[in-house]
Amino acid sequence: MPAQTPESVADAMYAMLKDYAGKKNLKAMDLTKAMIEKFGDDCDKQLCKSAIRILMDDARCTYSYVGGSYVVLNPDYGK
Amino acid sequence: MTDKKYPTPLLDDLEKGPWPSFVKEIKKSAKSPMVQDLLGLLERSYEEKIGHWKHGGLVGVQGYGGGVIGRYSDLPAEFPDVSEFHTIRVNQPSGWFYTSDALRTLCDIWDRHGSGLTNMHGSTGDIVFLGTKTTELEPIFSELTAAGFDLGGSGSDMRTPSCCNGMARCEWACYDTMAFCNDVTQTYQDELHRPAFPYKFKIKASGCPNDCVASIARSDMSVIGTWRDDIQIDPAAVKEYALAGKLDIGKDVAGRCPTKVIDWDGTTLAIDNSNCVKCMHCINVMPKALSPGKDRGATILIGAKAPIVQGALLASVLVPFIKLEQPYEDVKELIAAMWDLWAEHGKNRERIGEFIQRIGLGNFLEQIGLDPAPEMVIQPRTNPYIFYNL
Amino acid sequence: MSADVVKAKRKTDIGPPNYTKFLPPIIKENYGKWKYHEVPQPGVLVHTSHSGAKLYSVRAATPRLLSIETLRLFASIADEFTGGFLRFTSRNNVEFLATDEGKVAPLIARLKKEGYPVGGIGPSITNIVHTQGWVHCHSAASDASGVVKALMDELYPRFENMDLPGKTRIAFACCLNMCGAVHCSDIAVLAVHRKPPKINHATLGKTCEIPSTVAACPTGAIRPATVDGKQSVEVIEEQCMFCGNCFTVCPSMTMADPENDGISIWVGGKVSNARHEPMFSKLAIPYLPNNPPRWPEVTAAVKNIVDVYAKNARKFERIGEWIERIGWPKFFKLTGIEFTKYHLDDFTHAGESFKRSAQLRHSSEG
Ligand code: HEM
Ligand code: HEM
Ligand code: HEM
Ligand code: HEM
Ligand code: SF4
Ligand code: SF4
Ligand code: SF4
Ligand code: SF4
Repeated sequence: MPAQTPESVADAMYAMLKDYAGKKNLKAMDLTKAMIEKFGDDCDKQLCKSAIRILMDDARCTYSYVGGSYVVLNPDYGK
Repeated sequence: MTDKKYPTPLLDDLEKGPWPSFVKEIKKSAKSPMVQDLLGLLERSYEEKIGHWKHGGLVGVQGYGGGVIGRYSDLPAEFPDVSEFHTIRVNQPSGWFYTSDALRTLCDIWDRHGSGLTNMHGSTGDIVFLGTKTTELEPIFSELTAAGFDLGGSGSDMRTPSCCNGMARCEWACYDTMAFCNDVTQTYQDELHRPAFPYKFKIKASGCPNDCVASIARSDMSVIGTWRDDIQIDPAAVKEYALAGKLDIGKDVAGRCPTKVIDWDGTTLAIDNSNCVKCMHCINVMPKALSPGKDRGATILIGAKAPIVQGALLASVLVPFIKLEQPYEDVKELIAAMWDLWAEHGKNRERIGEFIQRIGLGNFLEQIGLDPAPEMVIQPRTNPYIFYNL
Repeated sequence: MSADVVKAKRKTDIGPPNYTKFLPPIIKENYGKWKYHEVPQPGVLVHTSHSGAKLYSVRAATPRLLSIETLRLFASIADEFTGGFLRFTSRNNVEFLATDEGKVAPLIARLKKEGYPVGGIGPSITNIVHTQGWVHCHSAASDASGVVKALMDELYPRFENMDLPGKTRIAFACCLNMCGAVHCSDIAVLAVHRKPPKINHATLGKTCEIPSTVAACPTGAIRPATVDGKQSVEVIEEQCMFCGNCFTVCPSMTMADPENDGISIWVGGKVSNARHEPMFSKLAIPYLPNNPPRWPEVTAAVKNIVDVYAKNARKFERIGEWIERIGWPKFFKLTGIEFTKYHLDDFTHAGESFKRSAQLRHSSEG
């Protein structure tokens, strides 16, 4: 597997969020655990943190609050 | 004085009386249509004995997951100007000191973009701006950051740490609470703004066991100043207290020592320091004569919370004594180890105190690499159901 | 929000301004060098440094909810009397920091004239820590600011004087979430719901995640259910303790109830380590009605407890320490408060509060 970068992990997280949209809310730690499972030693918590930061800063995602904070797709992205 | 839109006889009654009135405060800001509608809505609550707020809608500033609390009224048709009434938490400066200019800067920003109502401060210790619309959030944020302020936390993230005024104005501060508080606030900006925890996490710092910021009851990590050596005694000042006669040193000081380690023979005061539990009582009542020892540091306690979800907890001892000196590397390593474990294994909405109860303090210590110590308990267990791991 | 907003170089994660910018010169010069302090009169602290410098702090009450007009007033008072320096305390008081003793009396006069009383230091009742209530929160079982105002109008002389045996900290929270963490106060005034949630089956399936709603209930009283063909939940009412936890997770389970919501009173908690270790507040009065705008039943009950404590406690005893000395039976007798079945704990750690010894204070009067 090629080494992962914050950008590639961000893309993988974004794809996962799209899969789960409307089915299950995901917290930052859910995404992190899923990425570490998927990429194994090529990924760690710090890389995942940077990836989430990318998703937030380029406005693909936002945080929502439903009895806990979740990472969700930004409905206004690209508008 | 105000051109109020609604009669508010019930609220008006709370303008009377000697205590400063929140109704007067609201009316001082009633040039804002939002505040006029707030008065109407609140009067309705007083008539009906029921609140008129609900959750809802996604609000926040881009990139942050905390700092804004969305609030919508359930009577938007009747009180349209207060249909959105979001709160903004603004990072508190350590110790809550201000200059008049800094206060005016905050007022001007809030005048331009919100209701003009504040809490100084909210229960988290942050400055609270009470009531604005979604469209004002980004402008407020950019004006705040331009003025050197930032947002606080809300949701599953860290809250702005808070502290007593410590060395700035208290002779009993056993470590520099404001320096520590500011340092951890700045170090953990990411954890404060981007929720990645199971639930909230609060750090509060008090300079001595009087605990003026109630850290032992209100924070997940409570840092309370203390000392290890002998209480410093100024015998001449002790004599002055005895001569002044307002204080009965035998009864009021020695008699109230919880561990009864003070001897007073009418002229000399002696303390068995090895059995003093650093409660502060004797020092509190004889501030000119007694002061904490010179080998100072702090006790770190963990896990206080209000009753939701599994019942209220007071914090319990995690590190009996630590020197607590800049750059606080040891404390930060401890925090990192705890967060790592709790973030990965904590359930949604499980505070760290509840998490420790679930997995057991022994297992928690093992995972974060701390040794068990008798200071952590009132007494060893009495229950013989021991989970031996062989 | 569009992506270009972000690209326009936003400043983030700068944190609060460094506190050293806001410290008056006398504090910078004497930081960590204070020797002792005195309280020459109510509301005034005088700190003396090893260098001999003296700092005069004047503490005044605020209602916590403050208009920017008032903050501007405080700013101009600070300019006039204390070189522009002021601070707020952990209990929502404001403190003006003067270096000139001559400024103290006129400063106090000015604050009083503007309607902000001076006091709250030493063995007094300082400001009541409180929450948002009907002014801003969705789960409130009562207002917060109104109850606090009514209480402090009544207890006001205790703020301005130092005539109590010990410090008396009162706190108010408008629901069991206790944003203000009232659970360790000398007197905690806590608003409560007393009926199970009302479920809106029409909206619940759409607005709430059913598994997390079920999981929210500490007593396991919530079960998934299909009602009129809609996915929803049901509550086993005998198991509900009205904590409102479900409502916070699911807005379709409302708790607010004008007839049955009200106020409970708890006593004997403390935070400070001085003398007795910190302790929780314990139930004194399970329920008093919500009676706005002045909550007369609540103010009378709190005043009674304070007065009985003032009369009977020894010097330095906090309410909890006093009750430990005299015992709970005598507390109920002296205050005339009825002891009921609600005072007997029946939640998880219930047994811990039962008396498991025959050491009792009996008196022949019965
Ligand atoms: C989307 C808009 C919402 C916003 C902005 C919001 C905001 C908040 C805030 C700020 C808190 C206080 C938490 C703290 O002290 O940091 C809170 C608590 C809570 N809200 Fe909401 N809320 C929203 C929607 C909801 C909805 C739809 C639900 C339930 C379905 C919900 C359930 C809760 C729960 C369970 C808590 C307590 C948990 C906690 O404090 O972490 N919220 N809400
Ligand atoms: C299910 C649990 C909880 C819910 C739903 C909840 C909800 C809320 C909400 C909605 C607010 C915002 C109030 C407003 O400004 O309108 C708030 C504020 C706050 N909450 Fe909670 N909360 C919960 C638990 C807690 C707990 C357990 C604590 C403390 C140990 C806490 C501490 C706070 C604090 C300090 C504030 C700021 C209040 C103020 O500034 O007056 N909350 N909470
Ligand atoms: C696994 C848990 C325990 C088991 C299996 C157990 C078993 C027993 C047995 C069989 C006896 C009767 C002995 C006799 O016939 O004289 C006994 C007596 C007693 N046990 Fe335990 N016990 C347990 C836990 C405890 C605990 C936790 C305590 C106290 C903290 C306790 C206190 C006592 C006392 C006070 C007696 C009476 C001793 C006497 O009569 O002198 N036991 N226990
Ligand atoms: C007589 C000696 C004491 C002095 C000089 C003293 C000093 C102070 C100072 C400087 C503050 C302001 C702290 C701040 O708001 O940042 C304060 C507040 C406070 N202190 Fe202490 N402390 C003393 C004893 C105690 C004791 C014994 C307790 C508890 C039993 C206590 C509890 C508190 C509380 C709850 C506050 C918040 C009060 C407010 O903000 O209005 N203090 N104290
Ligand atoms: S906690 Fe101790 S050091 Fe801090 S202000 Fe209170 S009395 Fe002083
Ligand atoms: S600090 Fe407390 S325990 Fe120690 S000698 Fe003084 S009164 Fe006793
Ligand atoms: S105590 Fe309850 S009702 Fe009051 S502000 Fe906090 S969450 Fe809201
Ligand atoms: S109010 Fe509390 S106990 Fe009752 S159903 Fe809701 S969560 Fe369960």
